[in-house]
Amino acid sequence: MATDRDPIVAAHGVSFRYAGSDANALESVDLAIARGEFLAFVGQNGAGKTTLAKLFNGLLTPTTGDVVVDGSSTHKVGIDFLSKIVGYCYQNPDHQIFSNTVREEVAFGLKHHGVPAAAAAESVTEALRLVGLEHQADRYPFLLGRGERQKLAVASILALGPPVLVIDEPTTGLDLGGTRSIMRLLRQLNESGRTVIIITHDMNVVAEYAPRTVVISKGRVIRDGSTRDVLTNEAALREAFLRPPQITRVALRLHERCGFPAGILTVDEFLTAYRSRAANTTTRAAARPASRGQG
Amino acid sequence: MPVGYSIYQERDSVLHQRIDPRTKFALLVTSFVLALAYNHPAVLGLLTATVIGAAWWSRLDFRRFLPILLAAGWFLVLGILVWPFYIQVGPPLFFIFGSAITITGLLFGLAMGLRVSLMVAAAGVWMMTTSPQKMTLGLVRMGLPQKAGIAMSTAIRLVPLLNAKRATIVEAQRARGLRLDTGNPLARARKSVSVLGPLLLSAIDLAQAIAIAMDARGFGARAERTSLVQIELTRLDRIILAACGMAIVASVVLRLLGIGVIVQGYL
Ligand SMILES: Nc1ncnc2c1ncn2[C@@H]1O[C@H](COP(=O)(O)OP(=O)(O)O)[C@@H](O)[C@H]1O
Ligand SMILES: [Mg+2]
Repeated sequence: MATDRDPIVAAHGVSFRYAGSDANALESVDLAIARGEFLAFVGQNGAGKTTLAKLFNGLLTPTTGDVVVDGSSTHKVGIDFLSKIVGYCYQNPDHQIFSNTVREEVAFGLKHHGVPAAAAAESVTEALRLVGLEHQADRYPFLLGRGERQKLAVASILALGPPVLVIDEPTTGLDLGGTRSIMRLLRQLNESGRTVIIITHDMNVVAEYAPRTVVISKGRVIRDGSTRDVLTNEAALREAFLRPPQITRVALRLHERCGFPAGILTVDEFLTAYRSRAANTTTRAAARPASRGQG
Repeated sequence: MPVGYSIYQERDSVLHQRIDPRTKFALLVTSFVLALAYNHPAVLGLLTATVIGAAWWSRLDFRRFLPILLAAGWFLVLGILVWPFYIQVGPPLFFIFGSAITITGLLFGLAMGLRVSLMVAAAGVWMMTTSPQKMTLGLVRMGLPQKAGIAMSTAIRLVPLLNAKRATIVEAQRARGLRLDTGNPLARARKSVSVLGPLLLSAIDLAQAIAIAMDARGFGARAERTSLVQIELTRLDRIILAACGMAIVASVVLRLLGIGVIVQGYL
């Protein structure tokens, strides 16, 4: 039996090859994800991020190795079981939306899992409330904006109540407002206990929201650790054709030149570090007025 | 992901490169006429073998031709299973459910299977040896309006794209718990809406994007379009076309004379 201390999702020596392909899309991936984590998969297009995510909810099963979800191997349990534990939200929300109202769209998964109408209605309302679409429940989904459709897709997964959410490129194609809104939603879902995995190439999003980052390059996990460690390792990121956020790079350059703190991820952190340095230099300057006068 | 453009296979064969698409279209039409003119399994078998021989001669990849052969096999089985119950000519061989099964009935069933196989195989060879570009150009030269030609080649091009889209949509819905393979036919039909809906919308989206992109590049600015690929009827083409014409006339005459026909009064 799985205990709370076991990882909710784990990959053991996982390789995967698509039928008819002559190369592995994933190669010896080992990964353990604990309950309640918020992590990001980053990597260039075609690195294998989506493939890995699909292995988590049983849309695909490993060619070799094993994916264990909540104590069960995905070789043994089907997608019916897995889709209730790992909610996978597609890159493009338009790949799933078809209902006439937002409410029906969210109810879709519940209906297929045979949830009774009354309970389903309650879950739908709750999911819509969580993503902030409760006032749009009776609208036609295609009239929603891109950001709202993304939230609708999240809601339709949330309604099934999975403890793990995998969101594939949640911010691609969204403006700053939409990005912030969906990321805050994901953070809030994580704070209320869900495990959240985002797939993205937006390093600013990673720096701001995900405490852990997994770098995937050519089907392999080449870095896995705290976002601060991963994003300040420019060489490793370059190997995966990625770059740290600009503010991190500025801090790294300043670190090389004048010992500025290196592990900076956001503008706010930069400013804090800058202010404390500035304060230090002023106090030092103030403490030695005489020596300067003599020199 | 190997998303094919169409089932066309690029080869350096006579059928691929030396014969005009219009001629190949005439060959296709001829094979259809011949398939319908005869109902004797020997004749139809010979014609089918010729078409499969043409596929081999054109060095088509047989793994990709296999689905067509499998379909042909299926039509043969179906023909032999169904027709003998309707064609009861000659002495009975045996009885099934009180129905007399005769040699002629079985042969006629075989012929009907061969007839469909012949048409399917001929259409397959035509599509596998004629690039969509030449196919469209050929049809346009034969009088198909330019816009219809473009619509046709665009449609061919969209098939693999939409098929990939369909696979993605099915996955997205499966991730939400959709099971397409369970339930009674009505339930399944209702479930398929969740795939067809997004698919239709993305098809419309795609078509609109293509239309805008084409307009932006001046599509329709002139009534007459030039073409990058040039086609021309050669001497070989004229010979084949004449042969096609003669084959069609001959088949009609033979049909009227009752030659190549195993059962009279049936197409
Ligand atoms: N259905 C498929 N069939 C064959 N190959 C695929 C399929 N889907 C993805 N691939 C290949 O697998 C690799 C990883 O793709 P993917 O996981 O989608 O990457 P990412 O999400 O990181 O952009 C790519 O090389 C891609 O071409
Ligand atoms: Mg992807």
